[in-house]
Amino acid sequence: MTCEQARTQMLGESGGEDFAAHLASCESCRNEVSRIGTLWQSLDLLPLEEPSGTVRERFYEMLGAYRQGLASAEPRKAFVWWQAAAAAALLVLGLGLGYGVRGDKSRPEMAQLREEVASMRQLVALSLMQQQSASERLRGVTWAYRAEPSDREVLGALVTAVNHDTNVNVRLAAVDALRRFAASPETRRAVIEALPSQTTPLVQVALIDLLVDFKERSAAGVLKTLAANQGANDGVRQQAQWALEKLQ
Amino acid sequence: MKKLLVLSFTAALMAPAVLPQDAQKATVAFSDPSRPRKLVVETMSGSITVRGYGGQEAIVETTGTGFRARKGKETEPPAGMHRIGGDSAGVEISEENNTVRISSGPSPFAQAGVVIQVPTQTSVSVNARLGNAITIENITGEIEANNMNGQVTITNVSGSVVAHSMNGKIVASINSVTPDKAMSFSTMNGKIDVTLPASIKANVKLKTNHGDIFTDFDVKLDSTAQPPQVEDNRQKGGRYRVQFDRGTAGTINGGGPEIQFTTFNGDILIHKK
Amino acid sequence: MLRVFSNVNVNMTDNAVMAEVSAGRVARLAVLFERYHRALFRYFISMNGHREQAEDLVQEVFFRMLRYRSSYDPAQSFTAWMYQIARNAGVDQGRRVRMAEVVDIDSFALASSAPGPEESVSRSQDLALLRRAMNQLPQDKREVLVLSRFQGMKHEDIAEVLGCEVGTVKVRVYRAIRALEQIYFTLEKEKAS
Repeated sequence: MTCEQARTQMLGESGGEDFAAHLASCESCRNEVSRIGTLWQSLDLLPLEEPSGTVRERFYEMLGAYRQGLASAEPRKAFVWWQAAAAAALLVLGLGLGYGVRGDKSRPEMAQLREEVASMRQLVALSLMQQQSASERLRGVTWAYRAEPSDREVLGALVTAVNHDTNVNVRLAAVDALRRFAASPETRRAVIEALPSQTTPLVQVALIDLLVDFKERSAAGVLKTLAANQGANDGVRQQAQWALEKLQ
Repeated sequence: MKKLLVLSFTAALMAPAVLPQDAQKATVAFSDPSRPRKLVVETMSGSITVRGYGGQEAIVETTGTGFRARKGKETEPPAGMHRIGGDSAGVEISEENNTVRISSGPSPFAQAGVVIQVPTQTSVSVNARLGNAITIENITGEIEANNMNGQVTITNVSGSVVAHSMNGKIVASINSVTPDKAMSFSTMNGKIDVTLPASIKANVKLKTNHGDIFTDFDVKLDSTAQPPQVEDNRQKGGRYRVQFDRGTAGTINGGGPEIQFTTFNGDILIHKK
Repeated sequence: MLRVFSNVNVNMTDNAVMAEVSAGRVARLAVLFERYHRALFRYFISMNGHREQAEDLVQEVFFRMLRYRSSYDPAQSFTAWMYQIARNAGVDQGRRVRMAEVVDIDSFALASSAPGPEESVSRSQDLALLRRAMNQLPQDKREVLVLSRFQGMKHEDIAEVLGCEVGTVKVRVYRAIRALEQIYFTLEKEKAS
């Protein structure tokens, strides 16, 4: 192997025996490997750029609207249009869809936009909650909190998270997010069912507190069992007892 | 998986390795530069320290008198019997797809601890089941820490933090938070003491069943929350303290990704850097 | 209950997910978004140094993936396809902002805010120099370096994206890093003098 050939192997996926043999006999190539190797490795230490928070919002806006668009009109073309559209949509949302809405919600454009937004939030929540990192799933749960109270898919994802997520903090956040779905009897049932199988004290407390906030009297049975459970954490048992009294 | 053929670097440990009883130190290379680096630590006992440094590899050292004590003479098994269970602390190290995994099983030597150095830019996930303290410092990345019995201390870090301790306080000092990332701190018994950059934008959710919440940030509370009690002793050389109701939410600097603070028995303190 | 995502598990390959999108389950693109938007952003910012423009281009890439989804061939490497779209989007953008000093030194805030021992002050200066050297590389050299080193693409995929032979990729990567080395040392000398 010549030096010329050896050089192209330096950063390759496998050197092979010829390469090793060449290096053994060629000092200048050895030096080069060492220098280049150092530089190659150092590139790894350059700090990684992070995009801003708006990238995700814009994508989901676009995706949601695209899906709507598939059903009706033809997809829009130039992306510059999208920038303006997304910005305008967000502006309209800020004016019309906050709490304390001004204007007439029944106007068709508003209703459609509202639906797009709900659809977007659902998408964000669900896809984030599927991610491998706890921090991402946490973010997904906070998006879930902004979903429509009638959104059963998001509710399902939250209940799954409460019962099965491997990270305590995600489970805690999911319990809290269930407040958004307080109106649904399904939610209350799910919370009552979650309590006996949960073993992490903080999450048990969170579920108990939620039942109290929901004023859910039908939880009395589960709470009584928990309060009497010798194996449960003392703080949890006290909290269950307190909850029973509050729910009288 | 891309391998870099460079002679002057420490060879990567390709197969899972068990740290021999007397060897106290091992070095592992991260082999796949196309993925971000990750460190996953799961130990049954002993303290865990993870420290970011300027090098390329993961350096694992075990500490504690447990090992050395064992180095002495071994007792002879009684006649006809043999020893079960082995006597190494069984620290296992492996690397795959740029993730270094370190795990150890139960050890009779509760004092044994492990110190791991990794490149500063590495995501770290630590799970201590029966162990003592978890300490993580000088790291930029996603940090997850879970401790059954013991303190969690996270200092001089950037990125995002998700931390939980069953019995033990959580102390964290964060230099900067990755935009768009949520964080969460929770403990059943113990206080949460977190320092955040003064310019941070966040939505905070605060809950303690038996404790107080203090901060020197200017937190705009949700309209449903009770107004806090403000204690301003700065004129007298004291401090500025805002005390909240046990469960509350609000925004800092206009709001942003959510940060949750939850404790059952303990105070919550949020400091401005 | 998870109608939209019930069939997607975390380990589904990019190819498989994109095939679903192609087949009409358009919402699945979100999975690819979550996997790749950061890497794409970093690619664009290495190419043109401009944060806003990089973010716009990320949007454009995903939009084009939607629009051209029916032309996606599942036999093809997904990353190769994605980066082909990315390159085209970059070219279509028209403007190429001059690299030199556009990427701000604030981006080092992340690394240098978590210093270890004292040596890290000089380390972050070295890294700043390295960054400048990267920025001064000619576009095509920088691109092949970014694709192989940072995006971690296989040589076959890079060959497909750049439209050249696989063997050529190796040579180009080598030449790129040699050029980087030259620039780096020149900058170092300038600093010292």
